[in-house]
Amino acid sequence: MIEILPDFIPRFLTGVVLNFEIAAGSLLMGLLIGVPIALARLRGRSLGIVASTATGVMRAAPTFVVMFFLLYAVPRQFSLFGLTVFLSAPMVVVLALTVYSASYVADNALEALQQLRRGSHHAALLFLPNMARAFFVLVLSSSTGAAIGVREAISATLRQAERLPKLSDRLLLFLLVMLFFVATLQAAYAAVAWLRQALTARSAAPAQQTSEPQAEIGI
Amino acid sequence: MSRLLGAFCGFLLLLLGGHGTAHAADPVGEALDQVIAAARADAVGDCAAPNDRLVAILCTGRLRVGVRRDYPQFSMLGQDEAHGFEIEIARAIAKKLGVKVEFTGVTAANRIPLLAEGQIDLVIAAMGHTVERGRQIDFVRPHYFLSETIIVGRRDLPIAGWSDVVGRTVCVTVGNFTNTELIHRHARLLLFEDPVQLVDQLRFETCSLVAQDDSFFAAYFADPDFAQHYESKLHFSPLPWGIGVAHQGGEKLELALSLLSQIFHRDGVFLAMARENHVPTGFLEAQQKLWSTADCDQPDGWQRPGCLMEPPNNVLAPTSFADRVTAFENLIHDYSGIAISLPMLKTEDAFSLLRSGIVNSLILVVGALAATVAVAFVVGAMLSVRNVVLRGAVRALVILVQSSPIVLLLFLAFIITSSAVQYSALVALFASIVALGLYNGCYAGQAIAEAMATLRLETAGEPVHYGRAIRRSTTQIMAFLVNATKGSAIASMIGAPELLNTLTDITSFSSERATTYTVLLIFYSALVGAVVWLTNLARRAYERRGLAA
Repeated sequence: MIEILPDFIPRFLTGVVLNFEIAAGSLLMGLLIGVPIALARLRGRSLGIVASTATGVMRAAPTFVVMFFLLYAVPRQFSLFGLTVFLSAPMVVVLALTVYSASYVADNALEALQQLRRGSHHAALLFLPNMARAFFVLVLSSSTGAAIGVREAISATLRQAERLPKLSDRLLLFLLVMLFFVATLQAAYAAVAWLRQALTARSAAPAQQTSEPQAEIGI
Repeated sequence: MSRLLGAFCGFLLLLLGGHGTAHAADPVGEALDQVIAAARADAVGDCAAPNDRLVAILCTGRLRVGVRRDYPQFSMLGQDEAHGFEIEIARAIAKKLGVKVEFTGVTAANRIPLLAEGQIDLVIAAMGHTVERGRQIDFVRPHYFLSETIIVGRRDLPIAGWSDVVGRTVCVTVGNFTNTELIHRHARLLLFEDPVQLVDQLRFETCSLVAQDDSFFAAYFADPDFAQHYESKLHFSPLPWGIGVAHQGGEKLELALSLLSQIFHRDGVFLAMARENHVPTGFLEAQQKLWSTADCDQPDGWQRPGCLMEPPNNVLAPTSFADRVTAFENLIHDYSGIAISLPMLKTEDAFSLLRSGIVNSLILVVGALAATVAVAFVVGAMLSVRNVVLRGAVRALVILVQSSPIVLLLFLAFIITSSAVQYSALVALFASIVALGLYNGCYAGQAIAEAMATLRLETAGEPVHYGRAIRRSTTQIMAFLVNATKGSAIASMIGAPELLNTLTDITSFSSERATTYTVLLIFYSALVGAVVWLTNLARRAYERRGLAA
């Protein structure tokens, strides 16, 4: 088991970097789509209804299936505003996760905007730790990219496990990877919790959180 | 075939007419010479507008052959140079006929139309002989090559037999009929457009196993570096390759080429060409032995069943309502201009996959919902006990599960389950239900425990009924039930035969994608919508009961 580590660890860490890149890309896209939707919802009337419906549809979309839809039903190469766009497999995962991250951003941005209107600037700032928490949940969700051949961390783990003949070695490898994610995420969540606490403490009227990212929001 | 037999009978009459003495030791060679000589005789007086292809070739003095432009080892057609196994065959045929050879680059899509239109005389272009193609053109028999689909993977990947492929992902090209065999072997398919992409994915380790024709891999295995790292693990679906001749006016040409193929097999001409071009030779070695036997080495050997390979039948049986499906597709197109295709309804194989996919998806979702509720109640109760050790242990498990990617949990459940019992669709579904239930149930259970803690604070230490905590956390429990439904398609990763997997299987041999994956998206979205609706109904009913109590 130990002999595979020098070969496995670099590939695994390269995969982790890709997980973080996918999560960052998805959150960025989510912000670009979600914030305008939140602004539209805030305006109310017909535009608000359309924006609310769009948020609901995105919230309910099975993103794992969306990923396959984008992979197989949408041309991999197309022209957009005169630019040739190539949909790589990681890009497909980013777009699939964006479907949900945009709805999550829209919900939280709406809450933050309402807090701002009420004059509670510190409560509105809770938008930031919520986004940070969503980012780490997206990191976990990006592992679904393994299903379409994205070489992220779990894909590297599964490839390595395939080559291990002993069941005990495979289980040990999985356990090590799980512990890596536990350590990374718990540290990240602790930092997010600290940030949230700090912001809440500065706020006169603590904001109610609109929606906690549940499980892996991507799936 | 009857026309070819007619041509053969005519040739026999010629043979009986007293020209059979020059090749006393080689009746097949003599028969071939007779056919060519007869065509030459016809060419003398019928070159203005010959109806027969062989006569036309002899009249013009050129043989127009359709070959692939870029098929390493078999046919590489450049501006000034052509080489490869099939190029050599074409040259040898032209030499025997005493004419000049001209090559035309063809593709898999246009090779048969070009032949039918008379723009080329022959097709020697990596073309497998199937029953369906045999209805469009004539194939020269005996066949000159036999390809098989092979599964290629790294040498250190332990694949001993088909049982090791079960549940694994195999990368394939879309629209390949041999994918049906992999579907029956319970492999999970990942689709790509081009065979070259498969090799890239193999090298980048995106795919640990790829399936493609062995003739395609011949060039790669000729590379020592590739051969050092990869090997053929399994082979299946043998497909004989034949020289294609047009139905119209091609009888004599087909007869001549059939006899020539017999001779080329018997004398090892095909085998020598294959060796020279690094083409797999197993089939050709066997054929040389076969065509050297007294039974087959006869002028009528090409029509003796014991000497020939039968073409595979890859025509899928249509459903009883396939015509109505086609009519519906046309109707949609006529009214909206949108071209849709519903291959999942047109053939029995595809329709059967569709039905099983829907049923399994429903089983999966119901199972995942039940498992989520069960795990939630157990985890919620265990996190609410006063015993610190037990609570701490369960808390650690919850953190471990919540911090792990669900894909990892899914494969963990699959590995453990499949090590205990032999793989089946039921095992994959069970492992998926366990993983989805554990994952979402841990979150929901944590919500119940948090509700329990707040209730205890509110009642200042008074005993709190567990049902109240469940009632208080109903919204969170429902949210995780919806999440379990949304994530259920992830079961496809371990080969569970739910709808995503079965529609991917259908796509792998039907090629249609846009409509198929739109149908899939609609199905799963409707499923999520149904679960949202049902959970809302259940919540209202539960709340009413709570108020009544």
